[in-house]
Amino acid sequence: MSKVVEISPTTRHEGHSKLVLKVNDEGIVERGDWLSITPVRGIEKLAINKTMDQVPKIASRVCGICPIAHTLAGIEAMEASIRCEIPRDAYLLRVVLQCANRLHSIALHNILTLPDMYIPGTDTKINPFTPEEPVRSVAKRIQRIREIGQTVGEIAGGECIHPSNPRVGGLYKACSERAKNKMYDLAKEGLILAREQEDFMIAVLRNYQNRDWSEVGGKQIPIPKTLGYHNQGYMAVHPVYGSSSLDPCPTWDPERWTDVRPWDWYMGEVEVNLAEPNYPIGGTSPVGTKANPQMEACTGVPLYDGQPVEVGPRARLVKFRNYDEKGTIGQQVARQLEYTDSVYAMINALDEYNPAGKVLADKIPQGEGELGFAANEAPRGTDVHLAKVKDGRVLYYEMLVPTTWNFPTCSRALTGAPWQLAEVVVRGYDPCVSCATHMIVIDEDARVVAQKLIQ
Amino acid sequence: MGNELGKYTNCVSARSTDKEILKKAQDGGIVTQLFAFALDAGIIDGAIVAGPGDEPWRPRPIVATTREELLAARGTRYNISPNVSLIKEATRSYGLDKVGIVGTPCQMQAIRKGQLYPVGLRDVPDKIALAIGIFCMENFPYQSIVQLVEDHAGQKLESVKKMEIGKGKFWVYTERGAVVQLPLKVTHKYEQPGCHVCLDYVANLADVSTGSVGSPDGWSTVFVRSKSGEDVWSKAIAAGCFETKPIDQVKPGLELVTKLANEKISKNQKTVEERMKFGVGKGLRNPYIKP
Amino acid sequence: MKQQIPAATPQKPVEQPKEEVKSKEAKPVAEKITAGHIHLSGCTGCEVAIADNYAGLLTLLDRYVDWVYDLTLADVRHVPKMDVAMVEGSVCIQDKLSVEEIKETREKAKIVVALGGCACYGNITRFARGGQTNQPQHESFLPIGDIIKVDVYIPGCAPTPQMIRNVCVMAYLLLKGNPDQQALAKKYLTPLMQLAERGTEACGCDLMIEVVNQGLCMGCGSCAAACPVRAITHEYGKPNVNREMCIKCGACYAQCPRSFFNFDVINEYQGILDAITGALQ
Ligand SMILES: Cc1cc2nc3c(=O)[nH]c(=O)nc-3n(C[C@H](O)[C@H](O)[C@H](O)COP(=O)(O)OP(=O)(O)OC[C@H]3O[C@@H](n4cnc5c(N)ncnc54)[C@H](O)[C@@H]3O)c2cc1C
Ligand code: SF4
Ligand code: SF4
Ligand code: SF4
Ligand code: SF4
Repeated sequence: MSKVVEISPTTRHEGHSKLVLKVNDEGIVERGDWLSITPVRGIEKLAINKTMDQVPKIASRVCGICPIAHTLAGIEAMEASIRCEIPRDAYLLRVVLQCANRLHSIALHNILTLPDMYIPGTDTKINPFTPEEPVRSVAKRIQRIREIGQTVGEIAGGECIHPSNPRVGGLYKACSERAKNKMYDLAKEGLILAREQEDFMIAVLRNYQNRDWSEVGGKQIPIPKTLGYHNQGYMAVHPVYGSSSLDPCPTWDPERWTDVRPWDWYMGEVEVNLAEPNYPIGGTSPVGTKANPQMEACTGVPLYDGQPVEVGPRARLVKFRNYDEKGTIGQQVARQLEYTDSVYAMINALDEYNPAGKVLADKIPQGEGELGFAANEAPRGTDVHLAKVKDGRVLYYEMLVPTTWNFPTCSRALTGAPWQLAEVVVRGYDPCVSCATHMIVIDEDARVVAQKLIQ
Repeated sequence: MGNELGKYTNCVSARSTDKEILKKAQDGGIVTQLFAFALDAGIIDGAIVAGPGDEPWRPRPIVATTREELLAARGTRYNISPNVSLIKEATRSYGLDKVGIVGTPCQMQAIRKGQLYPVGLRDVPDKIALAIGIFCMENFPYQSIVQLVEDHAGQKLESVKKMEIGKGKFWVYTERGAVVQLPLKVTHKYEQPGCHVCLDYVANLADVSTGSVGSPDGWSTVFVRSKSGEDVWSKAIAAGCFETKPIDQVKPGLELVTKLANEKISKNQKTVEERMKFGVGKGLRNPYIKP
Repeated sequence: MKQQIPAATPQKPVEQPKEEVKSKEAKPVAEKITAGHIHLSGCTGCEVAIADNYAGLLTLLDRYVDWVYDLTLADVRHVPKMDVAMVEGSVCIQDKLSVEEIKETREKAKIVVALGGCACYGNITRFARGGQTNQPQHESFLPIGDIIKVDVYIPGCAPTPQMIRNVCVMAYLLLKGNPDQQALAKKYLTPLMQLAERGTEACGCDLMIEVVNQGLCMGCGSCAAACPVRAITHEYGKPNVNREMCIKCGACYAQCPRSFFNFDVINEYQGILDAITGALQ
């Protein structure tokens, strides 16, 4: 007979979310629901009738870890709607900004993942903040990589958290020759550190993969070889940057996307009847707690071709690199492989960038209400913003953010895992939950499709 | 009062040894010379100065990274140049790690507040390498300068080659050699209101501060105030950038500086206090007490 | 993170932040303060700003602060007692959990810091008006100061790593320092406490209402430099705020030297900055 266990809130990722898990007698998850419980700030609704210049600045503030993706996707959705092409040099600086953000984000995620992992050859879990070696050197390297990413972001973007430089039509300011050289030097230093860190992380992840058990709440929990496996598809639009409806052949298709409400997707009310007070830290929810994912979830469920898809580092590598390793560790390894990739892409963009070039379009149309979209490959996956702009004002705005795509996919990937390792699977996605609180389009046909899918 | 001149470790009368700089400098060319030296010596990567603007005698803040740009900004424009507005951008798209900035005493206050309370100035505090303050009794809105020059002095703004406040007068010199002096009581009404609560005359918070008062024509009074100020000043002296005279051997000397500083601060302190009982049972805000 | 440090970790000898201001006998302080990060309706950008002290963050944690609560960075699920709570985000009053959490924070923390524009002033959540699936009733977001008493404000969006660092060091001195250090910390924190008392509304308009209208603006340009969305330009030396860009973060007014200017602290900038950076070496 299956039991229900709830982990709330989940930790070591961005925002508020929780896990409601139906488990069998062996404690293996039969059905997992992972959902956001972050209050919905309603960015898409508050965007309506604000200016196309302000909305991307607000949209940036749904997430402070991938603000750059939201800023760029927001701005480019506006540009797509008004049909405004930006100068090449503006595009190149946006690419630099994108890579800088990815670099810092991977490094930050290392800090969040490491506590689940072991120092290879020992049974000691890694506390990234301990002053003891060898961990301290790694922590310092992570912080330096982040500093490099954030500093480059600051130069190209004006700010690294919520960049101020990008604007509809291009950028406010071009970077000087000196700024370009500074970014270049930082990238060169970053490359060495990124390579070291990539190797270190992969060694740690492989070590975890080869272990038989992991200690959770004082118990040795067996690690299944298929931890985090799922059979869903992947979605990615570009190895580094993105695609928009202004492209001659956009690599994302709004026709293939449908959105479902949590009502149709998540479990209804359940009562917790399995509790583990020793689960770190503070235990799981007590027996008798009522959970109701379908009512509590704060996000919609976007589908691509009628199915949940995985987005993020592995999706990019699967689509563009023939990568094929499944499971949580496969996903984590893919993320590490993007370390050096992002630095090379940054260097290439800087090489081509001309500081004397123009960074603002000569003419910025005010829009005629046409639908435009931009899909940006954020650190955690495809971030699609859709907009309609008329007379400089936003009529319609929609954000399909990476973690929202991943919620249902990850929920499926929980099946077969010991419930004590569910958070390890969740963290593999590097979830970023506050951004995931968005509006869903009410599409009656899609709902019917979804209902059939579930039955 | 006693501390109206702020903390300083050295005070001299000085002028640049560079003829080209002196040609269009306001006084002893201290600001331009010191930045030019610091730029050469790698002490700064660039400096925020009041560059030429869109209208005659209207300054616009720029980030100067070459001697030419520094030279183009020589001379005093007696109206507002919001130099601090570029302090963050200088470290961003301009890529500077060591920023120089020139400004009035209030702008030096803004810089130091920004270093201690960098509410919106991320990663700026440790990049201020050289802040040069210029003495300041008051500043003017641009339109005030238009009216003073064109109405009171009867000169066309475009033809003015220098303006100066000194010896109790507002002086206007034109390209064609005319010299008009206006008594300061004429200029008072045109002053920027925000200046009337200002409690600093000689840029107490600068690394190096300078002005004409206290020194003979063509020379400047220089206070060296901070560690980094001492460092750059001693190197510049060693490099032969300046001629100097001990301040107690020039006329009118520190006595006049002290007197003017005292006058400004006492008068404005009174204004600050009067503002607090400006209305009936209501006052105006005093930024020195709370936000 | 406290929980995870092995019990045998030798406490590093704590270096006294050098006090140049009034260099008095420094008595070594061994005890750390406890602090945590509470995430309400914010975006985690404030938290990233904490982390962006880079190596300095590690030093802070080694010597001065035990970080006892932080959903994003650490494995702690329930708000514990702490000296300093840094709260990011505003409170959605239609979300029971958020309301409970902010009240609990006030009960558990000695000093509550509103970290960032959202916690201080609402920031972009001032524009929220609900109506979005799956929780259309999430409509009202309040700055934390409308629900609890807040001690210290750090405005801005995002707030800066350096402000966070300064406040952490000053909070440490206030709670654990010698009398001179406590006096300095109090002087430093006073305007940030006054900002908290002043209210929960901010907007670029403050520059007009509280500075220009009050006859205090002198055209320095600090406000424009501080604005994170480039909403402020200077027209003939005075600020112009593009109100259709402003996100209400409060950085411009707090940065303005004519909002507050405490001579007793700022005149000592050199010693204080040396002390803070020295403490983190
Ligand atoms: C508004 C104002 C009031 C002044 N009042 C006094 C006074 O009462 N007593 C006194 O002794 N000196 C005063 N000065 C200073 C004096 O006029 C000279 O600027 C100073 O002596 C420097 O001269 P210099 O030859 O060393 O500099 P220069 O080499 O000529 O360089 C001057 C520098 O000042 C900058 N600058 C010019 N105008 C402005 C401005 N409006 N705001 C900010 N920076 C600017 C320029 O960019 C340039 O870099 C005042 C200056 C200003 C701007
Ligand atoms: S008088 Fe004071 S406030 Fe006015 S410009 Fe000069 S320094 Fe600034
Ligand atoms: S203040 Fe800015 S950075 Fe902080 S939570 Fe709010 S939006 Fe994010
Ligand atoms: S920061 Fe400077 S320019 Fe802006 S309002 Fe304040 S005094 Fe005026
Ligand atoms: S004008 Fe800019 S700095 Fe001021 S409150 Fe608005 S967004 Fe913040």
